Amino acid sequence: MTELRIAAVGDVHLGEDVRGHYRQRLEGIGERADVLLLAGDLTRHGTAEEGRLVAQEFRDLPVPVVAVLGNHDYHSDAQDEIAAELRDHGITVLDDDGTVLEINGRTLGIVGGKGFGGGFAGKCASEFGEREIKSFVRHTRTIAESWQLALKEIEADRKVVLSHYSPIKETLEGEPLEIYPFLGSYLLAEAVDSVGADLILHGHAHKGSEKGMTPGGIRVRNVALPVLGRAYGVYCLNGG
Amino acid sequence: MMEAPQYVAARVQRALAEDSRTHELGIRVDVRGDQMFLRGQVSGEEHRQRLAAVAQEVAPNLKVHNEIKVVEVTRPGEDEHLD
Ligand SMILES: [Fe+2]
Ligand SMILES: [Fe+2]
Repeated sequence: MTELRIAAVGDVHLGEDVRGHYRQRLEGIGERADVLLLAGDLTRHGTAEEGRLVAQEFRDLPVPVVAVLGNHDYHSDAQDEIAAELRDHGITVLDDDGTVLEINGRTLGIVGGKGFGGGFAGKCASEFGEREIKSFVRHTRTIAESWQLALKEIEADRKVVLSHYSPIKETLEGEPLEIYPFLGSYLLAEAVDSVGADLILHGHAHKGSEKGMTPGGIRVRNVALPVLGRAYGVYCLNGG
Repeated sequence: MMEAPQYVAARVQRALAEDSRTHELGIRVDVRGDQMFLRGQVSGEEHRQRLAAVAQEVAPNLKVHNEIKVVEVTRPGEDEHLD
């Protein structure tokens, strides 16, 4: 049996004042994990300069690094520059698509992107009324459809979904109920449940909880740094 | 007339999210009398202080209690085996 060891963290929100700190904590990651996944909100203000800082922090690690961006990384409209900076330093950035890694003779498929909000079944926004509301919900729906397609197309022994926004409510526990619609959408979980995956990782909800499950029974982990309280979580999947 | 404390707290919270020096969404702001309490977690000490500074600018007459915690990034913990 081969284990696939997946290290993951989100919401590192790096800034100039903590340059180099995070990297110190990544020492020895090669012995602990086979891959490092970053669940968005890598920066504070979403500037290209911060993107460079993030790239420096996560470059040349002994394990492959796969990232998605978060809402903070979009704030300055520099998301494309940030993604390009990361890619230039060998980091894979998913944008509603997927990638396959080979680990000890097994394949790990990773699908995902930023995700978006809208709320959870029974208590969510719908594509109705003003243009602004419709485009809000449509944004999430389009993302969910891309993930579904990417999951269908990808061939791998194990599949992980990497998101910034949450697909379920359970991992938001600790956040005020009133802001749940801005923290995630059940459309993301529904899309993943329809195809199947082995694990979903997300961030964004700094005050949420680590562990939850989709209605279809897929394990969900909120890996936002303040939730984990440790440099990264390591989740081991049986590679078959 | 004195402004209701809820509006002051909401304005501070918005400023912390929207001010380009902070852009911090996860800070809880409570106003009680002439005291303002900031709570939450951030990744660095400088950032923590900037939050208090921006909050103070928005409500210069309140005494700011900066109870925001800096999250120390500790070693990775236990692995979790998902079977
Ligand atoms: Fe965040
Ligand atoms: Fe976020």
